Amino acid sequence: MNASNTDSNRNSPAPRYTLLWISLVVLSGSLLVLRAAMAAQGDGGAAAADPAAQSLWTTVGIWTAAILTIGVFSFLYRDNPLYKVCESVLIGVSAAYWMVNGFWTSLVPQLFGKLMPGLVREYALPSMPVSTTPGLDFALACVPLILGIMLVWRLAPKGGWISVWPIAMIIGVTAGLKLVSSIESDFMAQLGATMRPLVVMNGGFDFWGTMAALVGVVGVLTVLTYFFFSVEHKGAVGKTARVGVWFLMITFGSAFGLTVMGRITLLAQRFEFLFKDWLHIS
Amino acid sequence: MTTHMTTQRDNAGGSSFLARLGNLDRRWIFLAMGLSIAVPILLKLRFPEYPSPMSRATFDAVESIPEGAPVLLSFDYDPASAAELQPMASALVHHCASRHQKIVFMALWPLGKQQADKTIETVLKPFHPEYKEGVDYVQLGYQSGNEGVIKLMATNIPAQYPTDASGAALKDLPLVAGMRDLSSFKLIASISAGYPGAKEWVQYANGPMPDAFKVVGGSTGVQVSQLLPYYPHQMEGMLVAVKGAAEYEMLVEGKYPIAQPEVIGQGRVRMGPQLVAHLLMIGLIVLGNIAMVAGRSRGGAR
Repeated sequence: MNASNTDSNRNSPAPRYTLLWISLVVLSGSLLVLRAAMAAQGDGGAAAADPAAQSLWTTVGIWTAAILTIGVFSFLYRDNPLYKVCESVLIGVSAAYWMVNGFWTSLVPQLFGKLMPGLVREYALPSMPVSTTPGLDFALACVPLILGIMLVWRLAPKGGWISVWPIAMIIGVTAGLKLVSSIESDFMAQLGATMRPLVVMNGGFDFWGTMAALVGVVGVLTVLTYFFFSVEHKGAVGKTARVGVWFLMITFGSAFGLTVMGRITLLAQRFEFLFKDWLHIS
Repeated sequence: MTTHMTTQRDNAGGSSFLARLGNLDRRWIFLAMGLSIAVPILLKLRFPEYPSPMSRATFDAVESIPEGAPVLLSFDYDPASAAELQPMASALVHHCASRHQKIVFMALWPLGKQQADKTIETVLKPFHPEYKEGVDYVQLGYQSGNEGVIKLMATNIPAQYPTDASGAALKDLPLVAGMRDLSSFKLIASISAGYPGAKEWVQYANGPMPDAFKVVGGSTGVQVSQLLPYYPHQMEGMLVAVKGAAEYEMLVEGKYPIAQPEVIGQGRVRMGPQLVAHLLMIGLIVLGNIAMVAGRSRGGAR
């Protein structure tokens, strides 16, 4: 009973804190809206100076973006309907955008433009160049058309196996493309970059260059040892693998730090938008 | 006796503070983080930047190609990453234009074309009005196909881009009329937010033609770890997130001042909040660990 009460107290904030948070949110929200409304009426100075800021649609766009931004931020307080609306808008817009984008950048120019160039040029892409080999283009475009139809065949009630063939082709082509580039750029070139003199001489002895070369080689060898599972990780192998783990941890830490930096930049940019474009505080 | 009681009270107060810290409502942390970013923006806090070797190498790579030589700038990002990448794109365009490089813009991301257009409108046209479209710069725009676009451009640019973004045939544009493949460029720069981006430019452009041109990249913080192995042999320079953008801006503005410094100063503006927010995070991590250790020792004592 006591434990249940304790859990319940932990999950629901104390009433005075709830009141405090709601007051903070309402007060800040009211101040922001007041400030933005005053700025839109020309009180912000910047709005009056910038002709674009006076355009009705620019104002509507900025207000929409600001409300959506604040709506997403509101999740930091707790889940709420405004956040749900923003989330749904994002999902809907993204799905529609990628669908339209795929249609106009892939299907129309790459497929329909080759199957029926005249029609596409007349009604969709007037600037589409005239091909010197329309017959060959048509024949070649039939290949992706047939493969595409086979791919969506999986939606049909029968004959789902037909879609396996285009999928096999996608996998084969992708593997072929990636294999060569990976061997060239991620294997041979990386090996070459690792096989450098351990003692670096730049006129004289370069201490930091030598240290960098040593750390690089030791890092590569120890991390490779860690991922070498054919031998049990004990004794000298275990100790080497342990050093490899340290290198990996430092790498993950560095990657996490960079990710944090990226996220802070995104937040800073949103605040810049709210302060400068919406509230005209600059 | 009194001293002993005071110490006991102090200990109780200290442990109570640490206990409360351990159970702190995370919304206070969100609020503190918001303030740590908002206040420096409002106060316009800026700190001096000292160029790292990677930012310096990017600057030097652009400086090392002959003035007026053609460069290819690939805008491989969209507005979601513009906070980190637009500052470096603006500085890069100003840098290239100040050296009178012939600039070819393109995009592997659908909205990259709009980002390139924005850069042309805000940096190239106002501050380098001598640049004429088709002669000094060309906007090729976006083509679908990811790394396939690079692969085809490596052997045949007109096959991949028969026209520029406005629909003009490449053969009618003096800048690109004679260009056959990627070796026509002296430098390729990819401002990249992920796939396809700088990594693919290294794999599919630099891989087959390692000595034909220089490759430099700018990337988001999230993507940097994937690109670091390519520096400095396969990628001559790299701009690491907004920090790299700020350093590069400083180098570019130092040599090529611009009439409105804020146009290529966004990276440095965003480094002010970084410092304060990072200090807050470090402080919170230290406090959190102290609270955890104190909590464990209290648990052990009981």
